[in-house]
Amino acid sequence: MNKGLISGLVLLTIGIVCGLLLAVVNYFTAPKIQEVEDAIKYEALAEFYTLADYDLSEVEGSGDFGTIYILKAKTTEGLDAFVYTVNAEGYSGVIEMLIAVNENLEVDGYKVVKQTETPGYGDKIVGHDFNVEIATDLSGFEGVAGASLYSTPAVLEIFQLVADRVEADFGGGLSE
Amino acid sequence: MNNKENFFKGIIKENPLFVSLLGMCPSLAVTTSLENAIGMTLGVFFVLVLSNFIISLIMSNSKLADLVKPVRIPVYIVVIATLVTIVEMVMHAYLPSLYFSLGVFIPLIVVNCIILGRAEAFASSNKPLDSVIDGVGMALGYGLAIMTISIFREFLGNGTLTVWGDLQVNLTFIFDFLKIEPIAMFVQPVGAFLTFGLILATITAIANNHKNKLAKKVANNG
Repeated sequence: MNKGLISGLVLLTIGIVCGLLLAVVNYFTAPKIQEVEDAIKYEALAEFYTLADYDLSEVEGSGDFGTIYILKAKTTEGLDAFVYTVNAEGYSGVIEMLIAVNENLEVDGYKVVKQTETPGYGDKIVGHDFNVEIATDLSGFEGVAGASLYSTPAVLEIFQLVADRVEADFGGGLSE
Repeated sequence: MNNKENFFKGIIKENPLFVSLLGMCPSLAVTTSLENAIGMTLGVFFVLVLSNFIISLIMSNSKLADLVKPVRIPVYIVVIATLVTIVEMVMHAYLPSLYFSLGVFIPLIVVNCIILGRAEAFASSNKPLDSVIDGVGMALGYGLAIMTISIFREFLGNGTLTVWGDLQVNLTFIFDFLKIEPIAMFVQPVGAFLTFGLILATITAIANNHKNKLAKKVANNG
């Protein structure tokens, strides 16, 4: 048999063995990683609201939306807030943010929960004040100096995605 | 070369960072705290020792080595990338704060010149045990180098030494005694280059001094 073909088959075999090994490691670490990511999200939710005062339910979003958290105050009727998990493509990977919007369409808080931007440069988005107070009004949106080519368009896109649907969601769109 | 020489060459004589100047990019980026340097060392140690062992095992079988030789670089990359992905997954699951702190520099271990360099220069032509010893020596040499840089940077830049998690040594009293503030520049990129340059200059001066003394000794004896 052609020697080059055999070398290719050896490479393929090594690749398959490595793939299987990764699958085994993933089997054991994936649930723990999910726990870690959920803990980060719940920590962020607790920064936005006192969770003990609300009934919290979750809906799985589609497309760029991950889990949407629905908060209903225990003392009043009706919806009080949505916390959206939204993804957008940053410079070096997916940026995931949580954006909390109350029934008056005011942004109660936002947090970057996942990003792989270059440390010290593109990741300036973490903790940056984007100056967005009303979810549907992005006129005050401010980029991050020194990271505008990298992370800012992704964050703006995330706010835009929320702005496009939040009114409809409070009007009952989410249940549809 | 005996085992002892094989082990110590990576720490001093052929130190990958201070002598061969390999893998500088992630090294300078993660040395903002001692904890980051320790985490990076653990990752590199695991990958370097195991990749050296696996590659040496493959290449020490003459029939298999003949088949692998034409595709050896892709084979090295597949092996190294698998080990790095394992480190990434385990760190994400069990050491999340370190995982987020090291960020993109964990997957970048795949293209770290030290790992590929040792695979090609040593592991591919030596026995598995020798390759493991070489890997341990090189990883420790790399670790000592980045820990030295990080100790200087974190102390001068923050006045602290973060060993692991909450285990932090607060040395700000030294700055208080001197009536100055920590120099924040040292935890910035410019501080990385400055610290690295100064340590490198010191090591080179010591090495040159040692060489000159040896040369004089040889000349006097001759």
